[in-house]
Amino acid sequence: MDLELVQRVQAGDKKAFDVLILKYQQRIVHVITGFVHDPVEALDVAQEAFIKAYRAIPNFRGDSAFYTWLYRIAINTAKNHLTSRARRPPAVDVDAMDATNYYDAAELKEFETPESSLMTDELQKTIHQAIEGLPEDTATAIKLRELEGMSYEEIAQVMECPIGTVRSRIFRARDAIDKQIQEIMGEGE
Amino acid sequence: MTVNQNELLSALVDGELQGKELDDVLQLLNTNEQARRQLQRYQRTSDVLHDHGVSHHHIDLSDRISATLDDEVEFTTSSKNTAQIIAFPRQFWKQAASLAVAASIGALAVIGVMTQPQNQLVQVPQVASVEIETTPMIVATTGKRWTVEEQEVEERLNSYLVDHNEYAGASGVFSYARVVSYDMGQ
Repeated sequence: MDLELVQRVQAGDKKAFDVLILKYQQRIVHVITGFVHDPVEALDVAQEAFIKAYRAIPNFRGDSAFYTWLYRIAINTAKNHLTSRARRPPAVDVDAMDATNYYDAAELKEFETPESSLMTDELQKTIHQAIEGLPEDTATAIKLRELEGMSYEEIAQVMECPIGTVRSRIFRARDAIDKQIQEIMGEGE
Repeated sequence: MTVNQNELLSALVDGELQGKELDDVLQLLNTNEQARRQLQRYQRTSDVLHDHGVSHHHIDLSDRISATLDDEVEFTTSSKNTAQIIAFPRQFWKQAASLAVAASIGALAVIGVMTQPQNQLVQVPQVASVEIETTPMIVATTGKRWTVEEQEVEERLNSYLVDHNEYAGASGVFSYARVVSYDMGQ
């Protein structure tokens, strides 16, 4: 469905790009933080990466998944950012593709503080506990979707139920998980 | 937020929306801040289950990015990058071809001249510094020199030869000359 959103952007629908931002900004910011090691700076670089992606989206042909394509742009933007900082004043903008040559793959490791690592562990534990507490059909639906990567149609075949039911069960599972997460994250409405 | 709206957001995370439902959810996200936050939370759950790293802080770059992109041109189907062929008139190609041929010949001529051993252009200053010999130039009187019976013709040919030798040393022209035939009428 990312492809459908991309096609809408290509057809002039900017709101569709807004959804792509909402979907991927947390992952992209996390990846970029692994490079720039500064949360505020990471937001600026992520913003730049999304803008570059928007400008390049007419050339996106769907040969790879949209996130893979976006991830590559984000990585190159982050490296480009680091390169320009190391060579101040940045009189010339280093090409993003060239910038990939300046860094070793070892530097691609993502930046995890002990605090964020602990939070990730806590989130995973909470989610799995929430899934275990779900009714069996709901838990099965979310596991087949998230862990097995099945489409709604495939899940409907496996569980021998309509696609609408699958969608409803997955939503109920997500909603229950979300309530648990909000408790530990303090994100109440 | 209704249950149905949240279900649409959940389906959006899974990429299972199309057509009107997708239109509806895009509209919802465009107008409802709570929906935007809900979508991000569902997405985060999915990302964590897939073992993708996520930022643990609430982030919404979309406003900042949208503000920047407001000035950008909206893409249209016709604005996709397509090769644009500029049709030059036939006359242009003829002129371009002629120019290319002329340039090639010119380049060959320059290279030919530069590779001649007698082309000692850099020695011109030395020539200038040498004292001018006053010995009259002797035109060959033996060997392959022409033999003409008319004095006027012979003098004219001699003057041509002297002129030629004067130019040959300075301009890289071949230093020898051959007169194949000569006609008074020419």
